[in-house]
Amino acid sequence: MVRDAGTGLSRTPARPRSLPARLAELGRTANRWVQAPLPRPPAALRRGPLRRGAFDSGLRSPRLTSLLGLALAVAFTICFLTGLISHFIQHPPAWFWWPSRPVGLYRVTQGLHVATGLASVPLLGAKLWSVYPRLFGWPPARNLAHAIERAGVAVLVAAALFQLFSGILNIARWYTPMPFFFTAGHYWSAWLAAGALIAHLGVKLPIISRALTRATPDRTRPGTLTRRGLLGTVGAAAGVITLATAGQTVAPLAPVAVLAPRRPGTGPQRLPVNKTAAGAGVRDAAFDPGYRLTITGPATRVSLDLTELAALPQHTVVLPISCVEGWSSTGTWTGVRLRDLVALVGVDAENAEAYVESLEASGRYRATTVPPPHLRDPYTLIALRLGGEVLHPDHGYPARLIAPNRPGVLQTKWVTRITARSKS
Amino acid sequence: MKAVRRTLIGSGALLMAYAVSGALADPDVKGGALIFLVAVLVFHDGLLLPLTIGAGVLIGRIVPCRIRTPVRVAAVISLAVTVVALPLVLGRGRVPDNPSVLPLHYGRGLLAVYTIIWVTTAGITVAQHRRHRVRHTDND
Repeated sequence: MVRDAGTGLSRTPARPRSLPARLAELGRTANRWVQAPLPRPPAALRRGPLRRGAFDSGLRSPRLTSLLGLALAVAFTICFLTGLISHFIQHPPAWFWWPSRPVGLYRVTQGLHVATGLASVPLLGAKLWSVYPRLFGWPPARNLAHAIERAGVAVLVAAALFQLFSGILNIARWYTPMPFFFTAGHYWSAWLAAGALIAHLGVKLPIISRALTRATPDRTRPGTLTRRGLLGTVGAAAGVITLATAGQTVAPLAPVAVLAPRRPGTGPQRLPVNKTAAGAGVRDAAFDPGYRLTITGPATRVSLDLTELAALPQHTVVLPISCVEGWSSTGTWTGVRLRDLVALVGVDAENAEAYVESLEASGRYRATTVPPPHLRDPYTLIALRLGGEVLHPDHGYPARLIAPNRPGVLQTKWVTRITARSKS
Repeated sequence: MKAVRRTLIGSGALLMAYAVSGALADPDVKGGALIFLVAVLVFHDGLLLPLTIGAGVLIGRIVPCRIRTPVRVAAVISLAVTVVALPLVLGRGRVPDNPSVLPLHYGRGLLAVYTIIWVTTAGITVAQHRRHRVRHTDND
């Protein structure tokens, strides 16, 4: 039944209608509202890029945009999932569980996160170029629904740019342009981008499916860049960026990684450092002869000095340090198994967790919880040596945590206190 | 299709609402994140992209037709690499007591990458022209 908006208001219903009927009526009214045409702005305002035919490249087409969008959606999905994994390892919800093996899994997921993000730069650039004329579409908003959709696109573009720009600034460790805590901003903006992307897919689905299923002739003039040529160019750009940076985690690529923010073998004891002992303000405390490692259990407490620590059974493991910033580097660590240390205070490592604290007085990463899978893993050490030498102060002298398959920020350095508790 | 679209739009809107409420409740985010969000949009759509399109128009005007496409290709790749490399080249993230952060000479590295991009593009272009010419003489 089609009813005119005017008469619908004036007519009195014969009997009170049911709730679903009323809701449906409400929906129809809302739909009429958002679909009602908005007044057109005066044509005199249609100048510059708003003119018809202001953008003349025949290279732009729904097919090109859809192909770039599809590649970008895949890249963003990889970034979102790997980023979520990294977030949950650092802030585990009750249902989350992360294994301690394979030892290099986090190195792969986080390396992929950063590499995919960097490779997305030319993809996003080309995608936004391909739809740039739509920013100047006339009229700016046909109706309320159109205005809402355009606002959604603005959010998607802004959040996507936020992710790539903040990520690039973060791996270059340049925080001044970002007036917020990077990790938190990057995390919430990722949800914003994911939501806006899914809604955008819903809005554009008919155009996308038509563009991807029907053959579209390339309208480019002979002798100019073709659609295939542009897609190849974007791919080449992503390839060049990857080759120039991936060596920060893929060691064989290090010699060509001229734009890698880190080199796996560069740093004290051939390992990069994120926070130095001086930067953390622990130099004096680390070299204090009164240094003790205190292990607290539910009933007892044990305090060990360096000689006593070195007298405990020593184990050597080869484990990577894998940074959230995407670099990683393998070290040979020697020290005491964390499970042996908590056994000293009567805690069975099979089902327990340990709270490991640094000499640092403050700071976001001064302490960490080692969950059961990592505590029971024999590879998890309180390391005293790296590469056979006593730990460099910047690597956590006198003692540091090193566990398999964890982000570097959770490998607490300058460890002074361990609190073990059984998990029932 | 209609049901799929409605589900996508609805769930997308829910996720966006989750993001906004989560960011508002997170004391680490602050208003700075909103400023950055708007700033990157204005910077990209209002400056970077218009300049890029302008450079493309300029290439169309001054570069001879024969080599216009390879120049465009090399310029696009160079621009993408520059976006990634610029913060490294500026090196504002360096700290005096930690030489393992940004340990390389990134300006030199970027120049090396530019050189590889342009030399490779030139090489491929010359090879294509030569092949084209050979085919042309064969047909004669």
